Amino acid sequence: MPAKRSRSIASQASAGRLLSCDGLVKSYGDGPPALGGVSFVMEAPQFTVLLGSSGSGKTTLLRAIAGLVPLDQGEIHVTGVALTRANLKTVRRRLGMVHQEFGLTDRLTAAQNVLAGAAPDLSWSRLLFQAYPTPLRQRACSLLAEVGLTEIQANRKARELSGGQRQRVGIARALIGQPQLFLADEPVANLDPQTASGILALLREAVTVHGVGVLCSLHQTDLACQYADRIIGLQGGRLVFDGPPADLSPAATAALFAGAGAAAVPTSTAA
Amino acid sequence: MTEVEELRARKPEAWRLKPAFDARILLLSFLAFCGLALSAHRLELGRLFSDVGSFLLASAGLKDGSSIGDGMSGLVTGMFPIVVDERTPIEYVDDLEVRLVRPFAHLEQVATAETVLDPDTLEIVTRETAKTFLVEPWGYLGLVLLKMLETVEIAIWATLFAIAASLPLSILCARNYSPHILVYAAGRTFVSFLRSVPELISALFLVLAFGFGAIPGIVALAIHSTGFLAKFFAEDIESADVRPQEAIAVTGAGRLAVLRLAVIPQVLPSFTGLSLYILDRNVRMATVIGLVGAGGIGQELKGRFDMFQYDRVGTLLLVIFLTVLLLDFLAARIRRVLI
Repeated sequence: MPAKRSRSIASQASAGRLLSCDGLVKSYGDGPPALGGVSFVMEAPQFTVLLGSSGSGKTTLLRAIAGLVPLDQGEIHVTGVALTRANLKTVRRRLGMVHQEFGLTDRLTAAQNVLAGAAPDLSWSRLLFQAYPTPLRQRACSLLAEVGLTEIQANRKARELSGGQRQRVGIARALIGQPQLFLADEPVANLDPQTASGILALLREAVTVHGVGVLCSLHQTDLACQYADRIIGLQGGRLVFDGPPADLSPAATAALFAGAGAAAVPTSTAA
Repeated sequence: MTEVEELRARKPEAWRLKPAFDARILLLSFLAFCGLALSAHRLELGRLFSDVGSFLLASAGLKDGSSIGDGMSGLVTGMFPIVVDERTPIEYVDDLEVRLVRPFAHLEQVATAETVLDPDTLEIVTRETAKTFLVEPWGYLGLVLLKMLETVEIAIWATLFAIAASLPLSILCARNYSPHILVYAAGRTFVSFLRSVPELISALFLVLAFGFGAIPGIVALAIHSTGFLAKFFAEDIESADVRPQEAIAVTGAGRLAVLRLAVIPQVLPSFTGLSLYILDRNVRMATVIGLVGAGGIGQELKGRFDMFQYDRVGTLLLVIFLTVLLLDFLAARIRRVLI
């Protein structure tokens, strides 16, 4: 009973917040927890980077916010709405997600992939024949142009596009649902440095132009410092740094990535 | 020292790697060998090899006569030359006027010598009688081609029905899209049941239900193909890449939308390939189930075979062979265009 009461208080407190995570805990099997009690709040639309090495819990955190990973403990509120089974679709409609491996349907064209992002607003019969209303089609085209694709590329199958172009399509797809919060799970991990900069610049534009808050996981400190308004450092499922890039000293960076291997492999002493 | 510590302490030179073949595989191979040997003994496989051997020796002229050669020679000599024309005594033709105006059709008088017992003199005499035949030079081939067309039509309809039935069934039978685990289990069981009934057997019963002709053939093939297609469609849906599905689900879309936008485009090429394979297979099976009276060229083949008209059987076999060849070629081309 007290747990329920505190939950309602938390939802009141988080009413005006874009995202609030409160004591998130998640373990897979018997391994060390992927998330060991992570709490933070995103107030305004900012470019927030989750920085950490592989296995630090970045992906689990983002997937938990998207409702793809059930949590062991903790609460997530997106724009004041608690992420529960009943609210899942409501919360998801306020989110846009960009994936490490793009998550595009390879056999649909770039434009069809972008339009697929508007699926929750469309009737089943429209989806069945992929008959999208004209305003939506126009919006998809302007989004594609905005992320830097041409008309020819818009009609190419997703599998015929380069990695950078695919991620651009992914961003346009996430934007078409007019989300308030963007989740980007290592959006540039599979891209070369130059393409990566272009993609991160686009995500920054989502903040400045569309007023969307971005929560983006990265493992490259230099990129994080270049683009982020705020950096949240994760290590072994715990929040170890939170502040603007300027505060991230070399020593703090070293600490963030120190013993990355040791954290991922359970040692005999830990077992 | 625990086991883990012991493993950690071991030097790399002393590490034990898994062997490519272990005792379990050797034991299984040995058991399989024993089982096959026993089965070969039960099925008299020795006779197979001795028969084939003596047939090969006889073919090479090193041995006179073999059981296979004797069995087949009657059939093979009877098959050639194959029959393409139709000769009917005019007394059996009801619509002579209609059939005579068809291309190449003409009448032919043939004198036949008959040896009969004269009832008056009680002597055996040879009597000359003239018989008039209606000759249609391509008549039989035309009939066979019509029957073949009917067979292909049976296969096409059966495949269409099977696709239509298996699309919704496959969604119920796909673990990740089935509405409930019980629906999934029931669907899987039902589909296995459909697949477990051989067409030839179900056609046998369906002929009793629907009577001779194409309908029992279509139903029998459709039942079996539905079982096959639904199973493989469901497996395709289950093994489709989950990343696009998650990406669509995260927008807040429902399961049907995810299915439509992230699963169906992915599995469509595989669905098409499977459907074409089933069409190809149904054409071959449609010829077979004709044997039990379910329409098409098989019914004709069975009739001619039972009447020892091997020359006509030859025509039928040739047409079947050429059709299957043609379909193989066509299916390969369609597949290349669609996928």
